[in-house]
Amino acid sequence: MINTVEKIYDIISNNFDTYKLTKTDGTICFIPLDEANTDYQAIQEWAAIDGNNIIDNGA
Amino acid sequence: MAITRIGNIASTIPDDSIANVKMANIVQSKNIIINGDMSIAQRSTSVTGITGSGYNTVDRFRTNMGTAGTWTQSQSTDVPTGQGFATSFKMDCTTANGSLSAGSYLIIDQRVEGQNLQYLKKGTSSAESTTISFWVKSAKTGTYIVALNDLDNSRYIANSYTISSANTWEKKTITYAGDTTGAFGNDNAASLKVQFWLVAGTTYSSGTLATSWESNTNANNAVGQVNLADSTSNDWYVTGVQLEAGTSASDFEFLPYDVNLNRCLRYFAISARGAGSDTTICNGTMYTASEFYGVLEVGKKMRAAPTMSAASGSNVYGVLGNAEEDLVSSVTIANITNEGVIKCRVNAAASKTQGQAAWLRFASGADSNDVISADAEL
Repeated sequence: MINTVEKIYDIISNNFDTYKLTKTDGTICFIPLDEANTDYQAIQEWAAIDGNNIIDNGA
Repeated sequence: MAITRIGNIASTIPDDSIANVKMANIVQSKNIIINGDMSIAQRSTSVTGITGSGYNTVDRFRTNMGTAGTWTQSQSTDVPTGQGFATSFKMDCTTANGSLSAGSYLIIDQRVEGQNLQYLKKGTSSAESTTISFWVKSAKTGTYIVALNDLDNSRYIANSYTISSANTWEKKTITYAGDTTGAFGNDNAASLKVQFWLVAGTTYSSGTLATSWESNTNANNAVGQVNLADSTSNDWYVTGVQLEAGTSASDFEFLPYDVNLNRCLRYFAISARGAGSDTTICNGTMYTASEFYGVLEVGKKMRAAPTMSAASGSNVYGVLGNAEEDLVSSVTIANITNEGVIKCRVNAAASKTQGQAAWLRFASGADSNDVISADAEL
């Protein structure tokens, strides 16, 4: 279960390139921006639900 | 039968030579199921307290569960005698649920990429039948359901098998008709789920079992399925799972361990595992005085760019350079690509000199449960 999702930016290019996902059990994983990745798909579904917001602290 | 003459080439070719030629030209992996002998278990060989869905032990076999008790799953060495198997997949009920909710379910499945199924010609008038065979054993006798679930077209077919004798290995074979409706997508997404039902509430069992291909209707999914969760005495073992084109089951296709592992690595890989305090993760450099960057290679192209998971905790990681080690509790992995190797940026806060070479390792706070893994499962 997804707890939080945060955008990760490349330190050199400042491009957004990864999601940091924290699950409700505390597990942390890093998700590439690949539509074939099932966790990426889950994030899009999660973010589409009202009240779920992706944390964006910028580059 | 030996071939004694081919055109003008006169010679006698021994039977065993012909067999070798045939073997050399066989297309490997007639088995649609990967790791059907349950020999690969990269994540763990045993996981307790399972109440929800996910991949736990044996590679490629996923648990799907809701309100169906608590289970221990393991890679077992209990196997059918004399069949050549060394391992099986085991589910052991540790907390029973004798009063299922309507929506209760427990399914062990394997998901298959559409691009691996094109030869079944699904959705055409030439659609192939398929046959699944497997060895199974359980303390609970009765009716169980095995199904094919077409995710691309929401179509479904199921059939039942019976466990006749408790705690006895039995071989089961089920043939499914070809489906002339709905082609599988020719891509790397999940097109087919091969489902072994173990628990089904009335939501999934109140209709008529879908023994012919039909539009997926929950009530027709698992009619007649016993409730394997009704006692902590219950368990379920399976091995030798093979799904192949055609109307008959051939002998199980044993693959060399390395071939089997390589097929599993397309979906999941352990890049590094803590084992004591000297397990290398990657080399790199100090991009700044406080940030280490390295390239972490998983080793092969995967199904998709993978989700990377990294353990965290006090003193789990060490950044070494200039004859000293800085201990850190977590790393960030980014720039994850999937072009032959997995290239990741590993960012670990440390206190060194900008431009200094360094390397990242699991440190004193890590044990063998701490891993960096790449997951591109379906």
